[in-house]
Amino acid sequence: KKMASKIRVGLRPVKSIMVRFCPFESNVESTRKFLQCINRKKIQATNRNCEVTADVRHDGSEPLVHVMFADGERLIMKGANLTTVEMLTALGSRCNAKELKEEQKGKKNP
Amino acid sequence: CLLSAGWLPALHLVRHSSKAVTRHWKAMHFQRQKLMAVTEYLPPRPAVPPRCLPPRTDAPKEEDNGYARLLRRQVEEVFRDNRMIAVCQYNSMPDEDLMLMRHYLRKHNIEVKFVLNEIIRPVLSQSKYKNLLPLFVARNILLVSQETKAKEMLRVLKGVPQVNLLGACIDNTILSRQGVENFAKLPSLEASQGQTVGALALLPSQTSSLLQCGPAYLTALLDEHIRQLRAGDTGTPTAEPAPAQSSGAQ
Repeated sequence: KKMASKIRVGLRPVKSIMVRFCPFESNVESTRKFLQCINRKKIQATNRNCEVTADVRHDGSEPLVHVMFADGERLIMKGANLTTVEMLTALGSRCNAKELKEEQKGKKNP
Repeated sequence: CLLSAGWLPALHLVRHSSKAVTRHWKAMHFQRQKLMAVTEYLPPRPAVPPRCLPPRTDAPKEEDNGYARLLRRQVEEVFRDNRMIAVCQYNSMPDEDLMLMRHYLRKHNIEVKFVLNEIIRPVLSQSKYKNLLPLFVARNILLVSQETKAKEMLRVLKGVPQVNLLGACIDNTILSRQGVENFAKLPSLEASQGQTVGALALLPSQTSSLLQCGPAYLTALLDEHIRQLRAGDTGTPTAEPAPAQSSGAQ
């Protein structure tokens, strides 16, 4: 069983992350834990330019994580039925894939 | 015994290797291997695997832990003594920033308290603040104050991105984040009292002018009429009875 605090995510290919939730609802626990985890020092240290914003609403909307990547791609995760670990691994795998692609591009070009 | 009779075994299997204890991994003697395999530990397996049985609830945790009781009493005190209690989500921030934030809030008489969910949840569920229960998941802090300086608190929190305001309980009214922002935009109590008094006093101040309006209009008309008569005297004297009749009919 993975602990959410052990998962490492490299945020270099990420431009910004927006987390929206409605704290008076009951399905926001995993989204809030996700927000807590990406705000940790080690993950923030991988990319100082990445802006993490939290949008706190009170309109009964479902919890949402909106990730904008540096190459224009977007990742939208609806956290109502996802666990923290799932969200972190999804984000982490996509970031790793993008970093590998960039490394390969960097090796090919020069 | 065979050894005492001068009989030696044909093969001294033991003497082929140099020593018994070596630095490299040495294979066990085959007989020893067989012995170890036969005497291996097999844990006892229950007839029905435990995951097929209904989950058993352990004995409930005893709440007589004195420290927990003390913390709960502190939380109850906090809710009783303070007019404004704001609940924020705390994402880890560097210590210096935390100290600075605490300092700025302390200037406005706002205290920062770290709370544990497992302690605050039973306290809230038994008090009248049941609607604050869903807020207490993940790590939270409470910003408590005797005054209700919402504007200053919002300004300080805007400079700290790692603390997110979730909701607040101001003067026994539960507000969401939007509610707190609206509350901060309201004018102060004295200003709103002055506005109400002014609005209420507006109508009575107009009563006297309202009552005097009719007779004042009448006097103005009569004055005008007199002027016209005087102007008419110098002109034609026959214009007298007609205006006299019209003023009588009024």
